[in-house]
Amino acid sequence: MRFARRRLLNTLVLVAAGAAAWGWVRRADTVLQPTSLFTGLALLAVCLGLALFNARKKLPFIPLLRAATWTQIHVYVGWFSILLFLLHVGFRPPSGVFNITLAVVFGLVAASGVFGLVFSRVMAFRLTLHGENVMFERIPALRAQLQREAEAIVVKSVEETKSTTIADFYATRLQPYFARPRSRLRHVLGLESPLKGVLTDLRLLKRYTNEREHAILAELVDCVEAKDNLDFQLAGQGLLKYWLFVHIPLTASLLILGAVHGLIAFTYAGGFR
Amino acid sequence: MAEITATISRPQRWDVPFDDKMDAAAVDRLLAIPPFSRIDASQFPKSTPLRDILLNDTSLRVFRKGEVIVREGDYGNSAFFILRGSVTVTLGKNAIPAALLGRRETRKKGLLETLGQLWGNPAQPEMRDVSRYQSAKTAARGGVESRGPFGRTQSPFQTPGTAVFLHDVPAVLKGGTATLQAGVFFGEIAALGRTPRTATIIAAEGSELLEIRWQGLRELRLRAPEIKQFVDENYRKYSLENHLRETPYFKDLSPAELKIVADQTRFETYGAFDWQTDYKKNRDTDPVARLRGEPVIAEEGQYANGLILIRAGFARLSQKYNNGERTALYLARGQMFGLREIAHNWRTKESTPLRYTLRALGYVDVLVVPTSVVEQYIMPKIPAAEMPPPIPPLQGNTTLVSPLDQVHGKIPTDFIEFLVDNRFINGRATMLIDLNRCTRCDDCVRACAAAHDNNPRFIRHGPQLGHYMVANACMHCLDPVCMIGCPTGAISRDATGGQVVINDTTCIGCSTCANSCPYNNIQMVEIRDDRGELILDQEKKPVNKAAKCDLCLEQVTGPACVRACPHDALTRLNMQETDQLAQWLQR
Repeated sequence: MRFARRRLLNTLVLVAAGAAAWGWVRRADTVLQPTSLFTGLALLAVCLGLALFNARKKLPFIPLLRAATWTQIHVYVGWFSILLFLLHVGFRPPSGVFNITLAVVFGLVAASGVFGLVFSRVMAFRLTLHGENVMFERIPALRAQLQREAEAIVVKSVEETKSTTIADFYATRLQPYFARPRSRLRHVLGLESPLKGVLTDLRLLKRYTNEREHAILAELVDCVEAKDNLDFQLAGQGLLKYWLFVHIPLTASLLILGAVHGLIAFTYAGGFR
Repeated sequence: MAEITATISRPQRWDVPFDDKMDAAAVDRLLAIPPFSRIDASQFPKSTPLRDILLNDTSLRVFRKGEVIVREGDYGNSAFFILRGSVTVTLGKNAIPAALLGRRETRKKGLLETLGQLWGNPAQPEMRDVSRYQSAKTAARGGVESRGPFGRTQSPFQTPGTAVFLHDVPAVLKGGTATLQAGVFFGEIAALGRTPRTATIIAAEGSELLEIRWQGLRELRLRAPEIKQFVDENYRKYSLENHLRETPYFKDLSPAELKIVADQTRFETYGAFDWQTDYKKNRDTDPVARLRGEPVIAEEGQYANGLILIRAGFARLSQKYNNGERTALYLARGQMFGLREIAHNWRTKESTPLRYTLRALGYVDVLVVPTSVVEQYIMPKIPAAEMPPPIPPLQGNTTLVSPLDQVHGKIPTDFIEFLVDNRFINGRATMLIDLNRCTRCDDCVRACAAAHDNNPRFIRHGPQLGHYMVANACMHCLDPVCMIGCPTGAISRDATGGQVVINDTTCIGCSTCANSCPYNNIQMVEIRDDRGELILDQEKKPVNKAAKCDLCLEQVTGPACVRACPHDALTRLNMQETDQLAQWLQR
């Protein structure tokens, strides 16, 4: 099935499920049913179900649907859980420290989930477009290798041209650039990276260099561009990995708080009377 | 520093012979009968003498009447020579119902074993049970299935031991039969061509056969021209007609007509059998020069002299495009070239030339049926509805766009060029990753490791075209050249699924397969004992084993990598299934 068709189908199912839930809650409210209890229980069950996705990931060889199917269920049931939450709180801000905390944690889980969904779709594209695809774990080694190559070019420049122009520039401007990852936030946000500035400075050096040094500068430009791609890959791939370190612990907190909240509500409501 | 303790003998080619019951007397007996009696033993090197090949690479097997010797569709790693008795070859596809053939499925892990991987996987990489190797020879001689590392079932032999009988052969046969008598080879095409068996063969009476594993057969063909000639003559005599009968458009020929067509058919071979050597050497050179260096089988603009049937290997179909040449398609075993032009000319009495150039991609084995024979015997038999469509006339100087282009236009030309240039067309389970969807989460790699004792069997890295990557994972090739040089047969095809698998017990770590793989998809790993210490041989050198993707043969769920990808970014595709490929690209 094409992705667009799948998206449309899933959205239609989501809208239908959302409308049904809304309709049921409205109808139940009119006959004074304890809708908060029902929606709360449903929400807790849905959150537990959503959290099982992470457990499924740890069991790749168990015949429990493909992870891609789980992702689809996770995404659309996730949207549904937001509607359930709103129905549960009656579209009003909650009161009381515990309830506010619970609502904030739910909001953070939902927000981090939406962020993860959007970011993983957008960043995957951007990583592919930006440059060579490199493995995350190899980036530090590749950066060190680039730095060595750049240093070798600079040494060669001094030996061959007896000029320190490029070496001076390297020591003041490029050495810090190669020494560590740069501008992670700028890369992630898609803002102008320091690459443009470095390249401009490298071009400015042409007035102080001869033709042989121009060729050496061109080699340095290649290294600088490769380093920029490594920084971009590190920032992008890093965030793609690490957003889950926010989403998953928050989910665990939500489940604990939600369970406590449910227990209290159920106890004080006197069960299903 | 870690203490190194485990020491085993360095594995050798004939540590595990094909059949331990073969002895000097049996070899003497073979050497007394033709064609073995005609072989000049001095042509064999000291390291692999003729006697040792017969002793270690062959097996004397007795079959009772009705016993199935080889099954259509199975991947064979050995050929047979009839010493006594006769065998029945079933003709036509699925001549015997599959249910009667007793095909044994590869053993999958049970639920408990599957769950056991959660806590049972070793903590150290590439851990092996040392006693497994020390007792390998004994286990092999017992002829029993033995337990592989960490409980995996592995058979040291390639031939399944359980016999399957067809008690009333004529009653279960759907098609015709042919009988092969003593003194004939069969099964060598599948064994040497790394292709599935094309027919089921049953013992017609109590028969004695010599089974030769392909490593031995390869040596015999290489060193003894008598054997090569014998095998080739046998093919023309016994297999060619069967091959033609299974080709579309040939099936309606009468036996007499088929014989005439077979007699007129020419065998032609292009490129080297071990094409991967040249490919690896030249793959970084200019693609245009490489294309021009590929042997031309038939050229665009020339008259179609014959219908070309691809018997083995791959061919590139290209068309002139301004100052260059554009790859339109690739052909593999079972496909044909030139029929449309021949049909068009036969109908219209024109002389329309070939619209494409057919080039050998590495090694190609073709059958050429002369045009006159096709016109006389094939064309009149093709129903009008199945006749290839006429060729539209060329308009002005515009580049010809044929229906073939339109059909395969679903796959962009640059993608076809990419697949052909990198020989990914060879893949039956090529790992394709859509980088626009891949979040680089490595869930696929982790799943692979979890399914293989914590050892990932592929690298999420590889050649890229646009946002598509072909990852470094075994493609379970149609033509698995990695198997060519394996001295022990440790790397072989799974008999049922055709996956290329490595028998860890019989692998001697020679790296031949890893060096042969044109895609660098086989890794040599240093193995460790259960304490994580390196396993050494007598010379205190680490023992290596070849390791690669086995398509999760033992897992109930199939390839873990595909199941684990949360973003629908990764798939395993057969490159011969161009429709599936197009569908995946156009998601």
